Parts: sequence; structure tokens; C-alpha cells
Amino acid sequence: MEEVRIGVYVCWCGSNIAKMVDVEEVSREVEKLPGVVIAKDYKYMCSDPGQDLIIQDIKKHNLNRVVVSACSPRIHELTFRKALENAGLNQYMFEMANIREHVSWVHTDRAEATKKAKTLVAGAINRVKWHESLDKRHVDIDPATLIIGGGISGISAALEIANAGKQVYLVEKADKIGGYVAKLDLTFPHMYSGKDMIQPKIDKVMNHEKIEVFLNSMIDEVFGYVGNFEATVKAKDEKEIKFGNVIVATGLKPFDPSGIDNYQYGKLPDIITSLELEEMFINGQVTKKDGTIPKNIALIHCVGSRNTNYHEYCSRTCCMSALKYANQLRSALPESNIFNIYADIRAFGKGCEEFYTNTSKKNVMFLMYDQQNDLPKIKKAGTGDNCDMIIEMNEKLSGEAIEVPADMVVLMVGMKAHENAKEIAHAVGISMCGNEFYIERHPKLDPVATTTDGVYIVGTCQSPKDIPDSVTQANAAAARVLATINVAHMEVEVTTAVVNEDVCCGCQTCINVCPYTAISYDEEKNVSVVNEILCKGCGTCGSACPTGAIRSRHFTDEQILSQIEGLMSMQLQI
Amino acid sequence: MEFEPTIVSFLCNWCSYTGADLAGTSRMKYAHNVRVIRVMCSGRVEPTFVFKAFREGADGVLICGCHPGDCHYHEGNYKCLRRYHLIKKYLDQMGIEQDRLRLAWISASEGKQFAELADEMTETIKSLGPCKVKNVMETLT
Repeated sequence: MEEVRIGVYVCWCGSNIAKMVDVEEVSREVEKLPGVVIAKDYKYMCSDPGQDLIIQDIKKHNLNRVVVSACSPRIHELTFRKALENAGLNQYMFEMANIREHVSWVHTDRAEATKKAKTLVAGAINRVKWHESLDKRHVDIDPATLIIGGGISGISAALEIANAGKQVYLVEKADKIGGYVAKLDLTFPHMYSGKDMIQPKIDKVMNHEKIEVFLNSMIDEVFGYVGNFEATVKAKDEKEIKFGNVIVATGLKPFDPSGIDNYQYGKLPDIITSLELEEMFINGQVTKKDGTIPKNIALIHCVGSRNTNYHEYCSRTCCMSALKYANQLRSALPESNIFNIYADIRAFGKGCEEFYTNTSKKNVMFLMYDQQNDLPKIKKAGTGDNCDMIIEMNEKLSGEAIEVPADMVVLMVGMKAHENAKEIAHAVGISMCGNEFYIERHPKLDPVATTTDGVYIVGTCQSPKDIPDSVTQANAAAARVLATINVAHMEVEVTTAVVNEDVCCGCQTCINVCPYTAISYDEEKNVSVVNEILCKGCGTCGSACPTGAIRSRHFTDEQILSQIEGLMSMQLQI
Repeated sequence: MEFEPTIVSFLCNWCSYTGADLAGTSRMKYAHNVRVIRVMCSGRVEPTFVFKAFREGADGVLICGCHPGDCHYHEGNYKCLRRYHLIKKYLDQMGIEQDRLRLAWISASEGKQFAELADEMTETIKSLGPCKVKNVMETLT
């Protein structure tokens, strides 16, 4: 084995790390460890000068291993791997110690935090000694794309890709595409018709020679890896499809307000959701259940949103939709009283604040309530009242307890993740946050990609958003997909399992534990064989193998055991 | 001086490591005794890793994976769970208190739960005192 020459770089992350960890001490101490040639600390390792520092040192000191002690590897591992590659070193000769998310941001005792940082770096140093050069595997990219979900996001992405001449498979669960936009009468703030906007796009998709639409269909499980996925479309007639990329555009599910006692949804006749009001506009008439015209209409904002009992997040579109309804109602029923019962008005989109100002001039009453602690309460009006319902509320701005008359109450329901979000996450191998919206690769720098290469998320499956934001994401993902198709091949991780045939005893334990049926049995040789294309590198077979014949590349026994050793030895020294 | 235990923890990349990262980005504070080792899946955690940690002087070992049904690799966490019960039995035979090993499910959004878990586990191990295995092994050799 060649002499191990490790360079260690301890990042300050401005003051993010340096404030709680004595980075100079860490660097001084770990420099004494065997194998470490040089250790340095620097203000921002991820910056260009920081990366240059590593590159120069690799050349100058003939380093063959690098440890960067900084933020989470989930953030910058790839950045530094690239730096190694630029210096002519194999990118896997790198290990990261997470002393920001796991140390400086979570601890309050500087001495203890510094100690902990040292142990983590020592662990990384010990681990990297056992790293081996791995060759990236180049794979060809199948130019077809699978898009799951035929709402505005899925449709937009499909057209972008298909118009570039590439095949798209669009799988939609419902019996038609168009999603929620097709169910919108008008859209804020320009009052364009949702239906008119999306219908030409629907027609284009349905008739596009490069788009195959599967209606009433679902995707069960996606096999393979970036560039080379395959799946079965579950429909009346099952069909096997192959594709190189996936765009997930599964959309939203409206919040069900029946769980909020104060709002009496489903108990009193003329309490409806915003979607039900939308339907009335599409059908051309806003009426009560008894067919008469409502005189007093209240729109309650933030239903199911921004309240820790339901969803803490803001659904982003309901405020503006409520203003849109106020406008529509004002035109349709000029004699009516319109009450917008709101928590805060969030009018942040282009043209939206102006829309709010305009609406407020149209004889619409705005009443504010406490969204977290004091929801308005709807009750049936008494016989003497000149209305059907009374909304009791503490109006926040005036500080007065008031009673709002209502003949129709519209609940502005928020957005939830789609009911199939979990199934789809499993099928394509992506993660969900606590609210079941999908997690992007990086919230700011890579918001449409996921941690699974070749899988993108667009529209409301990622978080609540309006039409322009959904379309923007869809087009962004389409551009990303087209870029990979254009290059036609891609590098993929090679951290798969590999069998040492000399040690394998042919017991086939690994075959039973592999979740991807990636291991088969070679009867002639009496050994297990890993199909590297199907293997996703979970390492379960490695832990189950009784003889140690299976190595999980980049997570080998030696690497992890050595990391434990390093971590503990430093622990005992200090 | 109060006993400060060292707890070696194995976190799966997809849920638990991300959850621990979230505790960091949310600036939640927890005990400094937990040292994290990243694995792709809790199913990768071999019994050897656990024994090695104790052998090297760890006072506790914590394994975290995705919640049942949420494993990025379908069912690696179930395999981990099975092994966990076996390891516990074995620890007992080796004279290591079973409570020194813990398996918990932490999702990518459970930063708070991870911070609480780290505190809880630290308290448990503090009450158990230092693990003597390393010393015993050294006396024996």
C-alpha cells in the first residue's frame, strides 16, 4: 500500500463554526495524528480560495487523501470531491467531518464542542486511510422522460421536453389531465380564466407525437438508476416503459376542514370550501343550497394553514384566492356584503399587493382574527336575525368582540401533500419532510432536484405554490432533464456492493436480504454475484454476509471500524 | 468531575442523518456526548460495529434509521431491528447492560426528536456509569 499522506482542512464557516469550536486548536491537534501531512484552518473552505488551498496543497505536498472538517457532507461533499478531481486525485479519497450541523450549531460549551470536533475529525482521518480510488461509472441517458402527474406542472414540463423532440411518458391518476388549474374559473391577480389558459396546453399534450399520456394510471415502482430507469404503468393495460429521468409533479390535496369544530363544515348547509365556490363560478351561479342568493358572504382565510393544530406552514395562495373571490362576488352580486376574515394578508407575488389595494377599494370588509389562538366561531343565527349564520370573532385590530352576519361562509382551505405522496416517494426513491412534501436536494441552490439522481420534483408536491411558481419549476426541471439528454451520458456513483469470490461460501444469505434483487447465485462457481446496475448501495448484504465476502464500497468494514477507532482514540487522549 | 459518557451513533443517510442536520440548522441544543457516524442505511450497521465501539471505550451506542415503512431502501430498517434484538442478547452475555444500546427511528424532519433523543440517551448512560469493557479487555490481554 502506498504511503498515506493526508491533508486536513478545518473550516471556520465565517463564525458559524469558529464561534463555538476552536478551529485553530483542532487543526493543531489533528496535525499530530499519524498519516496527517498538513492541517490548516481557513475561513470558508467551500469558497474558491478555500478549494484552491486544497488543490495547491495536494500538488505541493503530494497528498493522496483529504479530510475537510466543515458543514454536513450533504451540503458540500460533492464540492470538495470535485476539488480533489481538479487536483488529479480520485474523488473518493475524501472524507468530511461534520462540525457545524453536528457540533457548533447544537452545542453551547466551547471547550466540549472543540473536543467533540477533534474526535470527529480524528474519525474521518482514520476512515480516509482506508479509502480507495473508485472509478465513476459512465452511463448512457435514455432520452425518454417519465412525468408523474398531469397538472399544470406536469403539463408544462411535458411540453418543454416534447417540443425539444424528446419522448415523454405522462402518467395521470385521474381520467383527464389539467389538474386543479382546469378547475379554476379565474386566476389572481389578472383574472385570466384558468380553464382557457390550460385547455390549449391540454390539447397540445394529448395530441403531441412525442407525448404518450396514460390516464387512470399509476406507477408502482421505478427500477434502475439515472439514465436507465424502468417501470410498469399500472392501468387497464399494463405497459413497461424505459426512461432516463423522472419528473414528479403529483400536486396537492386540499385541506379537509371538517376537523375544525369552530367552522361547522358539513354541519350547516351553506358553509363551503373555496373549491366548491370555484365550481359555482364555473357553473355561472353563486347560490345557497336552497337556490336563493346569499346576501352576506364571509371568506375565512387560513383554514388549516398557519396553525400548529393543523399545518404550521402557509399555503401561499389562499389569501390571493380569497381576494379574487371578493372581486368576483362583488361583480356577480353587487348588493352583497363581503367579509374577508383574515389572519394576515400575504400578497407577495408580482402584481399581488396592487391587487389587494384594489380589492380593498371595492367595499369589501376586512376583519382580522388571531390565527393560532382564537379562531372565529360559526353558529346558526337566531330567528330574529336577518341572516342564516353568525360568525363570532374577536376582531384583532379594533380589539372588539363582534358578530358577523353570514348567509354563506367560504373556507379558504390550504394545500396538503397529495394522498399518494408517500407511495410515489417510495416508488421513485425520494424523501419527504414532516408535512409529506418532497425534499429538494438543496433548498436554495438546487430546489427542483432531489438526492436521487435523475429524479426531479416540481409544483405543489414540493411545497404549496401558485401557478407561475409551479410553471417556473416545471420548466427548470425540463431544462435540467434536457441538459442530461443532450450530454447523453452521465457519471454515477459506484458505491455498490461487490463480492470477493474467493471468500464467498455460496450460502446466499445476501440474496435473501437484498431489497433490489440485485444479487444472483452463480451455480457453477457456487458464489453470489452482484448486479451493479440494480444495486443501490444500501449495504444490507454487507452486514448480513457471514464470511465478509461482500464489501460495501465506500462503506467497507475497515473504513467504518477504523472510523470508530479514530473517534474513540482521540476521545481518550483529550 | 461528573462522568461524561461517549456515545457512538450510527445514522442512516436519508432520514436520521438529515434529521440530525436539521437539529443543527434549527440551532437546537443537545448534549455533546453523541458522536455520529454516517451509514447509507441502518441495515448496514453490523453487530461488529456495535461491539467495536464498546471495545474501543464507548459508553453507549445509538443506532437511528428511518421510521418503519419509510426506509429509503424499503426495509433495511427492519433488518436492523432484527439484528438489534440479537445484539442486545449478546451484549447481556458479555456483561454489557442492554440499555447501553438503543435503536430509534428519526425521520428527516425530526430534528427536535433527535436532539431530545441525544439528551435522553446521555442521561441514561450517565446513570449507568462508564462501560468497563475496554478496561476488562485490556486487563485480560
